[in-house]
Amino acid sequence: MADLSKMRNIGISAHIDSGKTTLSERILFYCNRIHAIHEVHGKDGVGATMDSMELERERGITIASAATSVNWKGYDINVIDTPGHVDFTVEVERSLRVLDGAILVLCSVGGVQSQSITVDKQMDRYHVPRIAFINKCDRTGANPFHVVEQMKEKLKLNAVMMDLPIGLEDKLEGVVDLLSMKAVYFDGPNGQILREDEVPESMMDECLERRAMLIEAASDFDDKLMEMVLDGEEPPVDLIEKAVRKGTLELKFCPVFCGSAHKNKGVQVLLDGVCKYLPDPTEVENRALDLDDNEREVLLTADPERPVVALAFKLEDGQYGQLTYIRVYEGTLKKGDELVNTRTHRKFKVGRLIKMHASEMEDINQAGCGDIAALFGIDCASGDTFCGGKVNYAMTSMFVPNPVISLAIFPKDKKSQDNMSKAINRFTKEDPTFQCYVDPESNQTIIRGMGELHLDVYVERMRREYKCEVEVGKPEVAYRETITRKAEFNYTHKKQTGGSGQYARVAGFMEPIVALPGATEEPKDYDFINEIKGGVIPTEYIPSCDKGFRTAMKKGPQLGFPIVGVALTINDGAYHPVDSSDMAFQTAAIGAFKEAFAKASPAILEPIMKVEIEGPSEFQGAIFGTVNQRRGMIISSTEDNGNCVVDAEVPLAEMFGYSTVLRSMTQGKAEYTMEVCRYAKVPQSIADDLKKQAAEKEKKK
Amino acid sequence: MEVRELISKSPIRVFEDSLDGGLGKGNLGVLVSQRGLGKTACMVHLALDKILQDLNVVHVSFGANVEHIMNWYKEVFREITDFRSLEDAVDVYERIRTNRVMMNFSQENISVENIIKSLETLIRQGSFKADAIFFDGYKLTVAAEDDVKKLKAFAQEMNVEVWFSVSPVRPDVSFDDYGVPNSMEPYKPIIDVLVGLHYNDERSRVIMTVVKNGSQTLPRPAGVSLDPKTMLIVE
Repeated sequence: MADLSKMRNIGISAHIDSGKTTLSERILFYCNRIHAIHEVHGKDGVGATMDSMELERERGITIASAATSVNWKGYDINVIDTPGHVDFTVEVERSLRVLDGAILVLCSVGGVQSQSITVDKQMDRYHVPRIAFINKCDRTGANPFHVVEQMKEKLKLNAVMMDLPIGLEDKLEGVVDLLSMKAVYFDGPNGQILREDEVPESMMDECLERRAMLIEAASDFDDKLMEMVLDGEEPPVDLIEKAVRKGTLELKFCPVFCGSAHKNKGVQVLLDGVCKYLPDPTEVENRALDLDDNEREVLLTADPERPVVALAFKLEDGQYGQLTYIRVYEGTLKKGDELVNTRTHRKFKVGRLIKMHASEMEDINQAGCGDIAALFGIDCASGDTFCGGKVNYAMTSMFVPNPVISLAIFPKDKKSQDNMSKAINRFTKEDPTFQCYVDPESNQTIIRGMGELHLDVYVERMRREYKCEVEVGKPEVAYRETITRKAEFNYTHKKQTGGSGQYARVAGFMEPIVALPGATEEPKDYDFINEIKGGVIPTEYIPSCDKGFRTAMKKGPQLGFPIVGVALTINDGAYHPVDSSDMAFQTAAIGAFKEAFAKASPAILEPIMKVEIEGPSEFQGAIFGTVNQRRGMIISSTEDNGNCVVDAEVPLAEMFGYSTVLRSMTQGKAEYTMEVCRYAKVPQSIADDLKKQAAEKEKKK
Repeated sequence: MEVRELISKSPIRVFEDSLDGGLGKGNLGVLVSQRGLGKTACMVHLALDKILQDLNVVHVSFGANVEHIMNWYKEVFREITDFRSLEDAVDVYERIRTNRVMMNFSQENISVENIIKSLETLIRQGSFKADAIFFDGYKLTVAAEDDVKKLKAFAQEMNVEVWFSVSPVRPDVSFDDYGVPNSMEPYKPIIDVLVGLHYNDERSRVIMTVVKNGSQTLPRPAGVSLDPKTMLIVE
């Protein structure tokens, strides 16, 4: 059985183009998993090993996270490469769920960018301890010290440098390890030969100063170290390491390494850092819900003797059939074992069990606690829990954001139609934010996702992987409907002519739920308040009212989109001893809702995207212009070193085709990322247009 | 209370009266004091007062975290609307968001020309017709006089009101009774309004004094001070 203290499950997360994939590639190379290094943008036509999909290679982005196992100095490290584009954040979230620790990659020029903040928040949500790697120190304008300050300011991390770069930009030669106070150089054609040397004279003072800062920061986590610091004694290196590890595990300390993956500098030191400071599977608390005990939370112990509990966190459908990536939390999963999918209660037998190395695989006979492996031919969805023995657990559900954009797709011919359903079936299983349904009214197939690029990639994958030619409609925004003022209702549902009668009266009021400026919590979408006194509506029919309101909220009368932000209070009503029923109260609640909604000044809400546009300062005007033309609002603009970053809020409806416009206006020198930030009221004139369009659509049917 | 009432009852009206109706477009105004007396809050209060009147404001900061400044706006808005219990505070906040843009520069790496260029770009190409610009933490006391003249020319050309919050950079300065450091002296002829802030022990408050107002150079009380708890302007 593997020594769990020497196992690490790590992810690599960062802003797009910070060089995650290059870093993963170097890690594979130094751990002898691959024999040659390929560049991401594929100058040699091979592409980096982790970007296994053809499309990823072409676009230079990492779409799906590939898991791979490597060995570094006796430590088993499972590395998950995660996508950097915000449109694919569910992949990042899912990876984080199964990780014990992470490397946060930052660009030494770009620093902490909007997405680094998003990723960092996600790591906080899943309590993932992290170490940081400031990459691209060889680039012009590199300033790792500035990045560390940004990490403190913007990410509120206790970021402390563990090594210092020797030279910067094109003069980057190596790093100084601040604990051993040795200079480390990376010789050989691929930097694989490490050479230790004395710290360059010119850097000595700075290194000593930074070392003192490091020890001081670490001393907060170890009393003995604190004592030694106060007494002015030189603490031993292992004591400092112990303190740094403790702080990192508590998420109160973030060790920062620097280098350049592309220039083969600093990666090995980072790998040592992974082994030293990130937790092993036994040091992380993982919880599951016991389905046999009213979903009571249970703590999972990394005990190899207990029944198996494993989580399917990623599915891939390749040439060999469906491949399911799993993480084992408890017990030992062996070939031939019988497991149960606790969602479907289906039993299945573990056939082939493999460890993945990007697109190559290695057959194994068993996977222990903490291990990441893959199973073949299991029918399941991502997020399913597999259990052995008599346990019936579900791993806590993952946070899945709601899609904001939808697109109608039409297959061009019969063959494409068959392939399209196969493709969609697979994609929806793989990615919970990619959803598909057939609109019952128009009979169109609608796909929904997190952004234009997100859906684009899937349409493209249908073409390439499934030979399925589809035409796509205009992307449509997922609007919401809401109310803006309080309105009362008093509705009687009565049908007492012939047969069994129906009677129910519901009275009360609806009012908007609003978030106060500066509130940290998201406002609720729906609230139900029962103020019925004296049994005017019998207790058993109260849930019927709630249910009726919920039904009415599903489809708004203005555009047919869901209604949000409404609190309903019932305070009066009436019933009939014979004719009242669950159905009657539900119908009355729906009627009451419709009656009040019309009086409550309804409004339409649209998703507003937080857009971050970055480019040379000379294009600032062009960038402002594009935001302005799109009903956008410039929130801030930051300028430094000839570069400008513009933060803006723009309605999603105006962002279609933005990448093309931006590229052509800035000679391809500006780039942008976006994510949903909130829903906001649509201006009246646009709301009127939308209503007109919806009415026309309705007429056509 | 409605927005109109909130504006008319604001202590900033008293402050404006002491300036004979306010700073006015095309003019430069300076709030100066030692560090840590609450100039940023005071400035955000002045800016929010404009924003609430549906005027457009650019807040220019130097090296500070933009989020941090935005939080100041949220806080100050909450403080002044809670205090006066404004109706529809949420809707008002939502509406006035479009009246404000933040610009952030690092003063070491950027020239006044570039700052002016960026502001012009925002006003012209970003179609943001600014009414007032607030320079928060600009190191005016070490700026070249020529740079300040350029800013003044810009204010006149664009017809905007420009405010600076200033703390001396060098430690060896001396302050007068009104909180104005001697390093402000060379700039006095260029700026139109100079307001000094100093802490008064007896009253436990930060007192604001109009040291210069156009041709009027006899210091007179601004009629307002900073609340020691919220750092906002009060009568």
